[in-house]
Amino acid sequence: MSLGSYHFHTGVSAFFEMATADARVLLPQHLEPIEVRHQRSVLSVTAFLFDDSVVGPYTEIMFSVIVPPTVAQWGQHAKAGFFPFLAATSSEQARRIKSERFHFPYHDENIKAQFIEREGRMRVCVFGGGDPIVNVSVTRGSWETTTHLLQGFMMNGTERLRTTLQISSEYTVHENEQGEMTLFPHPMIAKHFPGEVSVYPFREHWFKNGTEVFHKLETF
Amino acid sequence: MTKLKDGMSEVETGVKSELAPNRISVDPDSLPTIPAAMEYDYTNFYFGAGTDAFALLEPFDDWWGQVKPAGYYLYELPLRSAPSTRVDVEDTKTGEIRRGLVNFASYNYLGLSYRPEVKEAIKEAADVYGGGSSGSPILSGTTHLHEQFAEEVAAFKGKEAALIFPTGYSANIGTIAGLMRSGDLIVADQYAHASIVDGMILSKSKSRFFRHNRADDLDRKLKDFDGKKLVIVEGVYSMDGDVTALAEIVGVCRDRGARIMIDEAHSAFVYGDTGKGIVEDVGLDDEVDIHLGTFSKSLGGQGGYTAGSLKLINYLRGFSRSRFFSCALSPVVVAGLRKALEIVRDEPELRTKLWENVACMQKLLGDAGVPIGDSTSQVIPVMVRDDARILAMGEELFREGVYINPVIYPAVGKHKSRFRMSISAAHTTEELEEGAAVIQRVLQRYGICP
Repeated sequence: MSLGSYHFHTGVSAFFEMATADARVLLPQHLEPIEVRHQRSVLSVTAFLFDDSVVGPYTEIMFSVIVPPTVAQWGQHAKAGFFPFLAATSSEQARRIKSERFHFPYHDENIKAQFIEREGRMRVCVFGGGDPIVNVSVTRGSWETTTHLLQGFMMNGTERLRTTLQISSEYTVHENEQGEMTLFPHPMIAKHFPGEVSVYPFREHWFKNGTEVFHKLETF
Repeated sequence: MTKLKDGMSEVETGVKSELAPNRISVDPDSLPTIPAAMEYDYTNFYFGAGTDAFALLEPFDDWWGQVKPAGYYLYELPLRSAPSTRVDVEDTKTGEIRRGLVNFASYNYLGLSYRPEVKEAIKEAADVYGGGSSGSPILSGTTHLHEQFAEEVAAFKGKEAALIFPTGYSANIGTIAGLMRSGDLIVADQYAHASIVDGMILSKSKSRFFRHNRADDLDRKLKDFDGKKLVIVEGVYSMDGDVTALAEIVGVCRDRGARIMIDEAHSAFVYGDTGKGIVEDVGLDDEVDIHLGTFSKSLGGQGGYTAGSLKLINYLRGFSRSRFFSCALSPVVVAGLRKALEIVRDEPELRTKLWENVACMQKLLGDAGVPIGDSTSQVIPVMVRDDARILAMGEELFREGVYINPVIYPAVGKHKSRFRMSISAAHTTEELEEGAAVIQRVLQRYGICP
């Protein structure tokens, strides 16, 4: 029995290098950042345009640190784990439901997100209160149909939570360093980004016409 | 920046979608779909949280059981012959021995590993010294051969002194961690070899990486640091076959007061008028502080070296843990290396032949429309950029007469998969033509070339 199914038109996820010391500041004590290089961990910036969900269409942006998934037998072993430290949506209702179910750390105010596809590039511009928060773009590789198993880690006070997430969609990924990100001095993100984050993603994911399903939520 | 009007987020699709309108749906009440094994890779089994140190072994083993017959078996295939331009290779999937394959997998750039003079020197040393050194180089493992060879390497490189290591890997970690300490800064090219990265980790220094060959990014990474700084580049980058932008990088190092080290694993003994390496080829030999390389590639043996000032080498002799906590190179290997170095010195025509062969292969592949990236060296990447199908292509190449290694993520970036081709001075034109024709034929089947 799933805990929620969200259909999306578009999703992008860009991985940026950040200092491991900075990643540790964002994580609870029981989680360790993975390192893509020595002393360099991974900031994931993910944006989704959900066009069919229990609350109707809405957009979401999520900032996470990539962490190791909990080991499971082959077939249920997640490809990656993520700890979201900041999220925001265009829908108060979507935010309330996901907060209650998954304890994602949502910003209290609505954001607006613009998804612009042009010449093989998907650019997402996120605004809060009319002011820009972040622009992030990824570029296209070759499309394939895939299913990803992921694990999300959250905290509810001192309670450690873990959810299994499946994303099935048309998908492209590459490491051609063609995307980019601009973070604006917006109050929503100001306190969450200590230190430097690279401008260019080392990995660019782009999802289309897919479904995101949350399978379970566990305390561990 | 334009501000959005009130209302729902906007979707603007500037181009018509290439995708079918059908959504990829999931039955929300079903269990998670078991992913395709080939969509996983080694990195998915590197990290994993749990309480048992062996937690990853079982899922890895189950995954490996699926992907090995699907193509991963192409790695570590046992050779049944010398790493010559034609090789006999055991097909571990079928149990057959595939004979006479054109070999583009071995980095025997000058064909020296099996030269009769080299083999003869090895035999003579075996008669005198036996098989091994039986000791650390700082204790009993150094023979007269080791001392002579270190002097010969230093003389060849035009440096005051050289230190011999058991492998190129240990040369890098021993040199970097022997010199740099916690609180120092090391900045390496993002495509630096794993042994450089591991040396940086072992040194406990602050580590940064600059964008490949981008002196401007290197400058940004150096500019705000006041302490000891070491910059590390490679002469020829082993996965792309392109050459370091040494002049610009040396300029930044001088401006920022950083020392510079070059790893010439793939360029020493083949680049430059006398074979000193890239530093000689671009006329910057004296601008580089630490010269490092291997003996396993162009010399066709084993081991590594660091060359530089006498003070540098004396210091590293005392602080390169990977050297003095390893057994010294076998004197048999050293004897073969001494002869190989003598051949490099005495037969410059070998380098001429190598570059003729490189030009020949570049033309053959270029005329066939085979993509080879930005390579200008004897390392030629045949760019496939198709992670899902490259192993299947590798199997076809293997069965149709070419031995060449597929390189996939995480050795290179996602969808930067390629076959890494090593050209040797020993290849005949006929072998190059035969190999290029097979590569073209297989890649055509997959639409990689016209």
